[in-house]
Amino acid sequence: MNILMIILAVVGGAVLSMQAAIGGKLGSHVGVFRSAFLTFSVGALVTALLIFFFESKHAVTLLDVPKWQLLGALCGVPYIVIMVVAVQRIGAAVATVAVIFGQLAMSMLIDHFGWLGNEAIHFSMTRLGAVICLGIALFFIYSSSKAKTISTEKVSQTSARS
Amino acid sequence: MQLLLILLVVAGGMGLSVEAGLLGPLGSDVGDLWATFSIFGVGAALTFLLMLFFSPRNSPSYFTQPAWTLLGGILGPVYVVILTVAVPSIGIAMTMIGILAGQVSKSLVIDHFGLFGTAHRKIDSKRIIALIFIIAALFLMTKG
Repeated sequence: MNILMIILAVVGGAVLSMQAAIGGKLGSHVGVFRSAFLTFSVGALVTALLIFFFESKHAVTLLDVPKWQLLGALCGVPYIVIMVVAVQRIGAAVATVAVIFGQLAMSMLIDHFGWLGNEAIHFSMTRLGAVICLGIALFFIYSSSKAKTISTEKVSQTSARS
Repeated sequence: MQLLLILLVVAGGMGLSVEAGLLGPLGSDVGDLWATFSIFGVGAALTFLLMLFFSPRNSPSYFTQPAWTLLGGILGPVYVVILTVAVPSIGIAMTMIGILAGQVSKSLVIDHFGLFGTAHRKIDSKRIIALIFIIAALFLMTKG
């Protein structure tokens, strides 16, 4: 069961990076906010359709839960704005590493303390090992993104000259 | 200034984990699709306001763009539903590391085949090393 969930998460990551690539392509033509609005509004439509036909009945509705549980989008949308503002000033390589660092650090904290109504999963030696592996992975992601930025700069410089 | 921006981006990344942390329990209470709808419904309202006030005035219509570039809204819910389903059973950290593994491997494939109109690039050995360490981290996480 857990293995299935891990595979599902990996698939989710692949879907996310496809979505990011497509959204980025659209954003370069119509602007980031228009692209983000399309993603969210079409997403809401698709989810509404799925709810109509596939969602089973639950005793509790979105209107019954404490309001803070509905704040998820208020964490996701600022991320888009922050990236728009930050990437051109600090570079994609630094921004990528900073996002992943924040994501992983916060996820370990929420797991450990069981914040937001999640089951607590305490920090352990194996989790520390995982953090070290992730630190090494982040270093390689950083140096790879940095190399990429330089090569695209070179390409744009040469095309500007010709 | 640089440092402030970096801290802001770190906070943005933390926000993504908080979002997942909110989604998991919410999905268990009201249903996974309703939880997903809360993200996209509120997100659509917020981004509509952002677009209305901050978008460049004369950006081209969606209908002048190739249809496949509009598919982001179909893929978005897939990702959010997966978050909602996975978080309660494997925890947020493992979900996030799994997602990172998927992102890195997918970006390798996108680069390799030059998909979605990006430039065709040679496969990047540094990304492969990164992926190996991410998978090692996932493996360690399953050990508890």
